[in-house]
Amino acid sequence: MEKQNIKTDVLIIGGGIAGLQAALDLGDQGFSVLIVEKEASIGGRMINLSKVFPTLDCSSCICTPKMAAAAHHDKISIMTLAQPTNVEHQGAGFAVTVREQPRYLNAEDCTGCRLCEYACPVDLVHEVEGNLGARKAIYVPFNNAIPQVALLDMDNCIMCGACEKACPTHCIDYLQEPREHTIEAGAIIVATGLDLAPMDVKAEYGGGKLVNVLHGLQVERLLAPHGPYGRVLRPSDGKVPDTVAYIQCAGSRDHSIGIPYCSRVCCMYAIKQAMLLSGALPLVEVFIYYMDIRAFGKGFEEFYQNAKAMGIEFIKAKVAQITEDEHRNPVLRYEDQVTGRVEERAHDLVVLSQGVVPAWDPRAVLPVEVGGDGFIAAANENVAPCRTSITGVFAAGVATGPKDIPDSIVQAGAAAAEAAAYLRGNDKVESITTADRPAQRPVEVG
Amino acid sequence: MTEDKSQHNGEGADAENIRVGVYICHCGGNISDTVEIERVVEAAAKMPSVVVARRNMFMCSDPGQSMIEEDIRTERLNRVVVGACSPSLHELTFRGVLTRAGINPYLFENANLREQVSWVSKGDPTGATDKAIRLVGAAVAKARLLRPLEPIRLEATPRVVVIGGGLTGLRCALDLARLDLDVTLLEEQPFLGGHLAELGQVYPSDKPAREILGELIREVSAHPRICILTSAEVIEASGCVGTFLLKVRAAGEMETQCFSAERIAADLASRAHGPNGDHHNDGAGTTELEIQAGMAVLATGFDHYTPSQGEYGYEEHPGIITLPALIRELESGGLGSGPPALNGRPINSIGFIHCVGSRELDGVHDQNGKTELNHYCSRVCCTSALWAAKQLQARYPDLQIYDFHKDIRTYGHGHEDIYEDTAKSGVIFCRFADTAPPKVTVTESDPPLMISLKDELTFNEEIDVPVDLVVLVTGMVPHAIDNLVDMLKLPRSADRFLQEVHPKLRPVEMAVNGVLIAGCCQAPLDSVESAAAASAAAAKAAALLGKGYIEREPFVARVDQALCNGTSACVEECKYNQAVSLVETAGGARKAQVNAAICCGCGMCAAVCPTGAIQVDGWRLDQFDAMIDALLVNY
Ligand SMILES: Cc1cc2nc3c(=O)[nH]c(=O)nc-3n(C[C@H](O)[C@H](O)[C@H](O)COP(=O)(O)OP(=O)(O)OC[C@H]3O[C@@H](n4cnc5c(N)ncnc54)[C@H](O)[C@@H]3O)c2cc1C
Ligand SMILES: Cc1cc2nc3c(=O)[nH]c(=O)nc-3n(C[C@H](O)[C@H](O)[C@H](O)COP(=O)(O)OP(=O)(O)OC[C@H]3O[C@@H](n4cnc5c(N)ncnc54)[C@H](O)[C@@H]3O)c2cc1C
Repeated sequence: MEKQNIKTDVLIIGGGIAGLQAALDLGDQGFSVLIVEKEASIGGRMINLSKVFPTLDCSSCICTPKMAAAAHHDKISIMTLAQPTNVEHQGAGFAVTVREQPRYLNAEDCTGCRLCEYACPVDLVHEVEGNLGARKAIYVPFNNAIPQVALLDMDNCIMCGACEKACPTHCIDYLQEPREHTIEAGAIIVATGLDLAPMDVKAEYGGGKLVNVLHGLQVERLLAPHGPYGRVLRPSDGKVPDTVAYIQCAGSRDHSIGIPYCSRVCCMYAIKQAMLLSGALPLVEVFIYYMDIRAFGKGFEEFYQNAKAMGIEFIKAKVAQITEDEHRNPVLRYEDQVTGRVEERAHDLVVLSQGVVPAWDPRAVLPVEVGGDGFIAAANENVAPCRTSITGVFAAGVATGPKDIPDSIVQAGAAAAEAAAYLRGNDKVESITTADRPAQRPVEVG
Repeated sequence: MTEDKSQHNGEGADAENIRVGVYICHCGGNISDTVEIERVVEAAAKMPSVVVARRNMFMCSDPGQSMIEEDIRTERLNRVVVGACSPSLHELTFRGVLTRAGINPYLFENANLREQVSWVSKGDPTGATDKAIRLVGAAVAKARLLRPLEPIRLEATPRVVVIGGGLTGLRCALDLARLDLDVTLLEEQPFLGGHLAELGQVYPSDKPAREILGELIREVSAHPRICILTSAEVIEASGCVGTFLLKVRAAGEMETQCFSAERIAADLASRAHGPNGDHHNDGAGTTELEIQAGMAVLATGFDHYTPSQGEYGYEEHPGIITLPALIRELESGGLGSGPPALNGRPINSIGFIHCVGSRELDGVHDQNGKTELNHYCSRVCCTSALWAAKQLQARYPDLQIYDFHKDIRTYGHGHEDIYEDTAKSGVIFCRFADTAPPKVTVTESDPPLMISLKDELTFNEEIDVPVDLVVLVTGMVPHAIDNLVDMLKLPRSADRFLQEVHPKLRPVEMAVNGVLIAGCCQAPLDSVESAAAASAAAAKAAALLGKGYIEREPFVARVDQALCNGTSACVEECKYNQAVSLVETAGGARKAQVNAAICCGCGMCAAVCPTGAIQVDGWRLDQFDAMIDALLVNY
């Protein structure tokens, strides 16, 4: 296995919006940064969202510039398809082993022209499109991916050689091996973000097997202008849905699946999607089944009230069960809390507003303290929410608990400040006395 | 209208060999779903000086940017036009491309085909395509007349003024100092700590606020880079990013030495015991001083919402109090150590009413003499109320607590546990509809207060709940800082809190260059969120001031001395203090001169100049003329 040594001031694990912002805030202060991202592109969840609450800005339009800014920053390097496998203390800093998966092509020579992709005969479901679209076995991850470089999915490659023949720069290398790097870093920021709460364990909701029951990220893709179908259709038969239901707290505030906490973004993304659906399909009726609407951020309550005024229906009810009728319409069984009646109702499409869980459990690699909810715990939460239990290791974004984009960006800035202070050797002011204080009096006037 | 291209060649454009590249963005469908991109590209190819015209799914993406970069090199482009989204999003991105390709970044021009075309003309693709072509034509015409510019470099004073000494200001000051910047921390009260100092144990850490703040104040007051001024008020502000000048009046002796541990403890104790506690007074007399700073951070926090008289019975019975008042009683032991009592009246039951002064709706809530209703959610009150309930339960296990809410918003880390704990130990929850807030009446019976509502949790049953104490869960309103808002020209959002420059991507920056915001002056936040914002603001300041200089856009007024007659029309028109003035030249004539550090490039001077001597770089009058002519050309 090839080995390489890289030195950097700060290693950032995870290249979502939190990792990118932390990198920019550190790079702008003159520190060198390496971002290690496990996927083939940076951008995290945000780059594949449609529009964002509560401003309804186009998500890829505001995320792409951050990605490009990081990619072009002379203090920031990016390593994709890479994950840390071991961390050791080294002086005041760390030695981190990072394993980089092969792309099976020479990334420096790939121009992202996609001729390989067009030549490849293998059709597969596209994970980035929430499994609703298709991709090839060799493919550029998505339109605005950074880096714009193809990767080969070796598990599904039939070794026909079509891509190699099509590639104008002859960069394909079927024999590429994983590479291991040793990163010497002064400080670490963990920004590994979120996964959706698993639904296969939730048998009452179909265990992830009902075709017209989607999760929030899939609907984000349906609503994106460059999404898998180019419009909003339901998967089973391509019908334009007339009624859509959102089920809140699917995989949040639910002891039965071990996720008792509130996931903080699902109310808002459901309301946002409901508004976007109403915009895309003027005749659609949208129902949101909820326990509490948690529209707590700046401008959120106003957004919620607008949604109500638009005619989106909010039904205070806990949905007990989802089944399917003969037309594959999902059927909800719920107790309406306001009327007290148990009701059954079919919808064309049902969306589970799935909660979020941490994407990475760091403990096997980096033994920071983790809370009972699995998110990284802060050592002194009220005052220093981005400091972990290990000095020199900081955390930001959803890695420390569910949060939306602005809250993630704020934490990214905070983690950058913490790491910078640490690297400057100013982590703690010890026993400074009055005598050490230089004259700091401002100029007196008048 | 004419097809003759030569007529639109502005003078100056011929002087060098102008080579324009035009790039049209699909924006993933945002533009191309309405505008026929291929037509725009074809038309652009025919425009004067255009040597390449291309398109891409996302011009801002890496391949889009590389396309331009490569064309600049291979096609020897010296002007670039991108037709895409608003320049506020990507102008900087594309200027960066020009820099990387080795040409002056200000030779870039943007045509806004999304906000100004596709998004506003969805139903009219033909019209939209025509408009897009005209806007691109205008951009090309302007691009041909663009001149290379250099950013303005300003000195940056490595000091930051932090206004407000609550948790946010303290945390921010400490982080700035840890990032090797000098800090002046201004607090209008005689003590530090802000509203957190009024609290006892705080969620989610369950630590006493006094311990959290005490530690922070000790560090801040001990730090050699931080100068603290208490009882301080900003009375004048001028200057701009890099060198703000603030005149401050501080009452009493200046605090430039470490606070002793005893002093900190005494201050914090007095705060927790009431707003008018016996706090430190550092003596009489006021001093005025001037502070020069590269940047300012606003951390002026919030005020508790004060209900109007009669709002839920407020001030009509001593048993109707606000949540902050309850917390103060709890903290100071005012409810007693035996069975709870308030002012000698036994308290067996308490009803919390949420959303008092928050989530108000037009037509439902009484304006009660208020100028505006508070439509927003105050974010922290649900958890704070339940946290108080939990402490009451722990201290007084026999107390019956009712909670009346619209939604329970225990969203944060550990908040849901607090909610569940209180529910398990007997708090009874009732829910009212947005449109039907509960009523509080004072009765003759015992208990003397009655809360009436339609309870959505028991199928809209009308219920009357008698209680001994009503706690109004009041939210936050922004602290009054009208003078600062006026002096620094700070934008506020509809909810009257300070407005960040971009609510998604730039949450701690303001539209006023060099002014940052953090904490509850921006929006209701808990201490965890306030502390993170404070640190994030420090990181921003360190990035901007760390280099020792600041670069500003060169779009400021410039005077052509040969044309200037010294009429002083520009000086009279200018709204910015000292941005333009008349100076004596060597020949004895008086001519206008621009201070580029202060000039905002608004162009008022250019509008009134009788000879066209003063013009704004990047927006010169010949460029406007060329754009208007180009808009009328049919391609
Ligand atoms: C359906 C849905 C809709 C949403 N809509 C909105 C909205 O409209 N507005 C809003 O503000 N927020 C929204 N959010 C929330 C938003 O997605 C998050 O706030 C944001 O993505 C958090 O950014 P992050 O960088 O912390 O995490 P992520 O975006 O999850 O990024 C983390 C990155 O780390 C990488 N990573 C993970 N583990 C490792 C590892 N071991 N090694 C290396 N890399 C790793 C991941 O691949 C990923 O790229 C939505 C969320 C969902 C689920
Ligand atoms: C009832 C209640 C209970 C709460 N409980 C908790 C809890 O348990 N846990 C938690 O995490 N959070 C809690 N919070 C939230 C917490 O109080 C805030 O997050 C925190 O106080 C915000 O700090 P701040 O510095 O932004 O604002 P503030 O605390 O309001 O401080 C602002 C400071 O700025 C000063 N100032 C204002 N204007 C000027 C000016 N013009 N010049 C100079 N100085 C000025 C003020 O005097 C004040 O000292 C609670 C809030 C409420 C209302």
